[in-house]
Amino acid sequence: MKQQLEIVPSERVGPLVSVTDVYKYFPTGGGFGRGAAVKAVDGVTFDIAAGETLGLVGESGCGKSTLGRVIMQLQPATKGSVKFEGRELTKMRGNELRQVRQRMQIIFQDPYASLNPRMTVGDIVAEPLKNFGLGNKREREKRVQEVMKVCGLNPNFTNRYPHEFSGGQRQRIGIARALVLTPSLIVADEPISALDVSIQAQIVNLLEDLQNEFKLTYLFIAHDLSVVRHVSDRVAVMYLGKIVEVASSREVYDNPLHPYTKVLLSSIPYTDPELEAHRKPILLKGEIPSPINPPKGCRFHTRCPIAQFPICGEVEPPLEKKADGHVAACHFPGKL
Amino acid sequence: MTALSILNLVPEPGRISGGQILFKNRDVVSMTSSELHEYRGGDVAMIFQDPMTSLNPVLRVGFQIEEAMRAHSRFDKRQAKARVIPLLERVRIPSPKQRARDFPFQFSGGMRQRAMIAMGLANEPSLLIADEPTTALDVTVQAQILELLKELNRELGTAIILISHNVAVISSLCTRVMVMYAGRIVESGPTRQVFEHPEHPYTWSLLRSVPRVDERRHERLISIQGMPPDLSRLPTGCTFHPRCQFKVERCLREEPPLEEVAADQEARCWVLMRNVSKESQAART
Repeated sequence: MKQQLEIVPSERVGPLVSVTDVYKYFPTGGGFGRGAAVKAVDGVTFDIAAGETLGLVGESGCGKSTLGRVIMQLQPATKGSVKFEGRELTKMRGNELRQVRQRMQIIFQDPYASLNPRMTVGDIVAEPLKNFGLGNKREREKRVQEVMKVCGLNPNFTNRYPHEFSGGQRQRIGIARALVLTPSLIVADEPISALDVSIQAQIVNLLEDLQNEFKLTYLFIAHDLSVVRHVSDRVAVMYLGKIVEVASSREVYDNPLHPYTKVLLSSIPYTDPELEAHRKPILLKGEIPSPINPPKGCRFHTRCPIAQFPICGEVEPPLEKKADGHVAACHFPGKL
Repeated sequence: MTALSILNLVPEPGRISGGQILFKNRDVVSMTSSELHEYRGGDVAMIFQDPMTSLNPVLRVGFQIEEAMRAHSRFDKRQAKARVIPLLERVRIPSPKQRARDFPFQFSGGMRQRAMIAMGLANEPSLLIADEPTTALDVTVQAQILELLKELNRELGTAIILISHNVAVISSLCTRVMVMYAGRIVESGPTRQVFEHPEHPYTWSLLRSVPRVDERRHERLISIQGMPPDLSRLPTGCTFHPRCQFKVERCLREEPPLEEVAADQEARCWVLMRNVSKESQAART
């Protein structure tokens, strides 16, 4: 069965991805179900519109990568629904899920660990086509060269091995592999944080160009708020397994409503020494609580500079609309 | 590597092949090993990017800080013991008495870096070399460590060399900046001046290659083409010329000297960004 090999822009209305009340718990030791669970993702709901870039930010251990993997169904959700192109993924099994994967791909952080060192670059990029039995050998070769060229790689290098490439070029190979099947969604999990600064801009620019050319939708996962602001149309902020705020990129930065978002933003130094001299960082007290036993009420209340009691320690604030296209989970939004 | 040279700690088979390193008018390169022993960890302390690999995992944090003082002769045994808790307090470790008895794995990343800083400060050094001290940390923890370093600099008068690839971190902490490329200083000067009026194309591109959290409108990032050069096979002329978008013919043949380009500012470039018109700057973005 041959399928078309051309890149078809997705023309779809409504959200491309709908995540509804998704939980992902990892059991810890103990055995026989007695152990506590790490609540990596703890009830998360959001949409990704076709053609947009949604930035997902948060600090290490907040569950952002797990959430990306659950959306990709690389790990099953403990509970909740993930819809992609209108179809429920969590109920799919085997071949059905395999077919959907043609339309959603992931790029990983570490371009050294995510490419098989024993395969040539041509084989790595062609592997998804082979897996899905697309095209014959010659068509596949043509497609691989085409995609490599689009990703800024020399198409004559298909016979080389990953170790012959630099970090930035390897990340391009990872992107080419993701792109070869003409996906509509790409989950980019910290795609630039392992790269040299002088190379990061090349990859950011490439991702932007590819999005414009192929109408891609990105879920861009990163801890670096400056990069996220730069690439994203909308930004979602995560803390301890929950989304605390979602708004347009501009709105999140100009008018953050959740105190955690505000703290994160105030923590980033400005490149401009003039602005930097006037920045007043809000320093957080204490450490991030354990996701095994997150605080009651608002999870941020143990470190929040404006927490009020008893409400913040008892009642969990729902993620609600606070302004047009701006949701936040806080009892006192915008008060910090 | 420059920092390791300052400590005369260049790993074999490398060596300091020439030049002088003066610390308070004494040449570090020609120090005897006992002089070096006092100098390293005594006059100059260094903290690293990854505090987990620089702390001994099987020794209690308090003991390791004490050990740093016992290795030198500034404080006797009793003084060293008594200084541990105040040092931990100084770097804002909560409940320092209990924490001194913890092992490194019981500390979070930010606390380990604090413990490293406490250890570095133990002998009251006049210089602290911080090699990417916040790169492995989350932004909120980075903010705490940067504030701590600023405070130490202000209150104890400790000079700091901060080594970082993050221009915003440099902007936050440093009064002066030196930009290095392929083993050479290509630009130096007061941070504000260099960041506002970079003269070397490498500095100029670097500043525009990272997204700014304060960006008002979406501007395409400058990407520096190519890769950093192989240090054993440096290009002829200016070492940056293969990646430079503003090079002239002379850059391929002759290496430019580091020359004063403004008050306190030096750059190693034949062209200088001030001589590149706004239009051709914009054309390269």
